[in-house]
Amino acid sequence: MSDKRLGMLIDLSVCIGCNACTVACRQENETPLTKFNTWVESWDAGIDGRVTRANLPKLCNHCANPACVKVCPTGASYQAEDGTVQVDPERCIGCKYCMAACPYQVRYQLESGEVDKCTFCHHRTTEGLLPACVSTCVTTSRMFGDLNDPDSDISKKLAAAGDKAKGLMEDRGMEPRVYYIGLDETLGAEQLSAVHKGGNVLRRREEGNA
Amino acid sequence: MIWDALIACYLFLAGMGAGAFALGAIAGWGKDPALTMKKVGFIVGPVAVAVGTLLLVVDAHAGLQNPLRFFYLITNLNSVMAWGVIILSVFLVVAVIDLALLLVKKETPKWLDGIGVALALCVAAYTGVLLGDAGAAFPLWNMAVLPVLFVVSAASTGIAVVALATHLLAPAEVGRVALLKRAGLVLPLVEGALVIVLLAVTAGAPGSAAAAGQASVAALVSGPYAVAFWLGFVVVGLALPFALELVRARKGAAAPERSVGADVAHDGSGKTLALVGDAGVLVGGFMLRYLVVMAALPVAFM
Repeated sequence: MSDKRLGMLIDLSVCIGCNACTVACRQENETPLTKFNTWVESWDAGIDGRVTRANLPKLCNHCANPACVKVCPTGASYQAEDGTVQVDPERCIGCKYCMAACPYQVRYQLESGEVDKCTFCHHRTTEGLLPACVSTCVTTSRMFGDLNDPDSDISKKLAAAGDKAKGLMEDRGMEPRVYYIGLDETLGAEQLSAVHKGGNVLRRREEGNA
Repeated sequence: MIWDALIACYLFLAGMGAGAFALGAIAGWGKDPALTMKKVGFIVGPVAVAVGTLLLVVDAHAGLQNPLRFFYLITNLNSVMAWGVIILSVFLVVAVIDLALLLVKKETPKWLDGIGVALALCVAAYTGVLLGDAGAAFPLWNMAVLPVLFVVSAASTGIAVVALATHLLAPAEVGRVALLKRAGLVLPLVEGALVIVLLAVTAGAPGSAAAAGQASVAALVSGPYAVAFWLGFVVVGLALPFALELVRARKGAAAPERSVGADVAHDGSGKTLALVGDAGVLVGGFMLRYLVVMAALPVAFM
């Protein structure tokens, strides 16, 4: 692989679940109605008899060992030079094998049949900009950069966090490159409410109550 | 749900077609070849697999609208599906050539039959491997169990569809293939055992797959798919054909002086039992694919 490996680090202790990332992503990537490249899952959690709000932003993990790329028969899903996982819509036949193989279920099908997902804002990062979700995050919970560069901010924070920085469902073997600080505390706490999937409150008028 | 009944139809047709072709080839190999059965198997095989493959094409919306993209299908040989495309294509070519030889020259070279049977086995196993390679996301799609289970079900449904047609076209031939009687009793038992193993392995899935594994099994045995599972698959697909086969075996044993085939063929109720049993196997074979596709929950299903 190339010597660049882009990744994200999300500090859950400062995420307030405001969903500014969800909105910025929709504006930036113009995702279709009801489809999201990133979102925040929120629920009430009990820690030591107190009730707190757990917030868990999710997105494509741009895995180092991605099942979606392995199963794609046409090579439409691929790993780019910067280590990110991308979809070439010109090669996609819409077989949905990648959607089935992704343990994180972050992929969706467009009306036109092609499969899409978070690109880590490839069109921005190649111009030296941060992904929209990172640059808009009001508490700087999201950090982004080159994991292979020991001098990058993300590498330094990851090194400082040590064992506390973890990916989602690492036992699935995908080697996710979105890391979380405070994941064990968030998932380990007693769940006291249903999960609110940020952004998914959107309803068509005919579906909901007027 | 990512894949639906259309893909379940494909998985069923590909398995049934592969099984039918294999049985057709085997039926033609004996000292006393069952030629109607061979012809039925050789026609149903490629037709079912071709229709199933067509369903895949229809389900791939982006490719359907841009057909040239289908040429990319074998560019990533790390993908099980790319190998599936190769296996399906080569099987169809061999099966169609074999059928053409059968229709024109009335006989087929045994080596070509053999290649066809080997490819049929690959087709049947591939339908399981396809789902199995997404097993990290869907615990029900277990790579160790599904391919074997689908091969066994392919044999069952292939035998059922060929036997069904042969009962109607040339009843005397059915008893000539000794393999069939044993298969009707053994395959449902093996299939049932494999389903139990699949459910046990899925329910016991470790780590981050545990919740989805347990929920998938619950959806099948006591949840929204329970009626389809118990009635459609277990009763109609396994228990009923097995029981009818037992009844027929007893009848055959009670009249040993006549050949079993002739006995069953000229016995009106025996024929009805056989037809009902075969139809049950086909219903069960479809239900198995449908349930495995639909009841599977992804590890990230919160």
